[in-house]
Amino acid sequence: MIDDARRTTGDGTGPAPQDDAALDPAESLRLIRAQQDRARDLTPDGRVVYGTWGVAWLVGYGALWFSVDNADSAAGAWAFVLFGTLVLAAIATTVVHTTRRSRGIAGPSAQVGTLYGIAWGIAFTAMSVTLGGLATAGASPDVVGLAANAMSCLVVGMLYFLTALVWGDRRVYVLGAWILLVGAVSPYVGYPGSYLLLATAAGGGFLVMAGAEVRAARRRAATGG
Amino acid sequence: MAEPGGPGLDPVIHAASRLRVVATLAALVPGDKLSFPRLQTLLDMTAGNLSTHLRKLEDAGYVVVHKTHEGRTPATYVELTARGRRAFEQYTETITALLGGAGR
Repeated sequence: MIDDARRTTGDGTGPAPQDDAALDPAESLRLIRAQQDRARDLTPDGRVVYGTWGVAWLVGYGALWFSVDNADSAAGAWAFVLFGTLVLAAIATTVVHTTRRSRGIAGPSAQVGTLYGIAWGIAFTAMSVTLGGLATAGASPDVVGLAANAMSCLVVGMLYFLTALVWGDRRVYVLGAWILLVGAVSPYVGYPGSYLLLATAAGGGFLVMAGAEVRAARRRAATGG
Repeated sequence: MAEPGGPGLDPVIHAASRLRVVATLAALVPGDKLSFPRLQTLLDMTAGNLSTHLRKLEDAGYVVVHKTHEGRTPATYVELTARGRRAFEQYTETITALLGGAGR
């Protein structure tokens, strides 16, 4: 796909006089398609973003589930460290990737993008503070764990609705609804099964989304080149 | 009528380099601007070559070139105008029609 774009770009870099030679419609359309493909560089790659988060949820929550010895104990410290590391790595990947893709773009969408990124930060900070409050009020580790899982899904699902509406992407809307559903039923699954549900159903949701992006990219490569 | 490059095709963008410039800028959300260096990277053009084509597009009212400062360094941003976006859409439609709707 990238090779195609490079090849066609090479054709268009000649001196200006070459431009005055008659372009035939097929060549024009090919140039347009190739350049539109190249311009995909201006938007984040869903394969990277959803793939990263899918792995983080699958492995991170999977580890938390695995580390719980019995229903009365919190997940193991090593699992929390692994989970935290994966989440931080996913945040870093997302931020670096989207910042790189959007560099050089100024205007309304740059402001929207910044405010959108900050919204994630505020929402998860508020959630963490709330969970701290529940623990302080005497909630047991299993109740805090259940609440943390359900609330994480609530925040992600709602913010994905926002994503879908701002960028007009229906698939993200469906993913958001799925994550909300998973979060809503997760407390009923109980502790520590809730961790396993998030790893498989929610993590799987991200990976299905990444898979859809891979298929879309393949389709574009097949028809656009 | 269906002669390639015949009447009906906007001469301003019926040229490989300018067509590619406009196709790139049309990928942005309307109202957004792209920095000159980033545009140059996406097009693999020399600065001089790109400037020449931007001037022609600017003369036609298809792009606006904004000269600003980021701190102390001058920065140039390029924006496709509503008119330029319309011209590109019309051009694409005409081309597609000439090809009998093929390649859709």
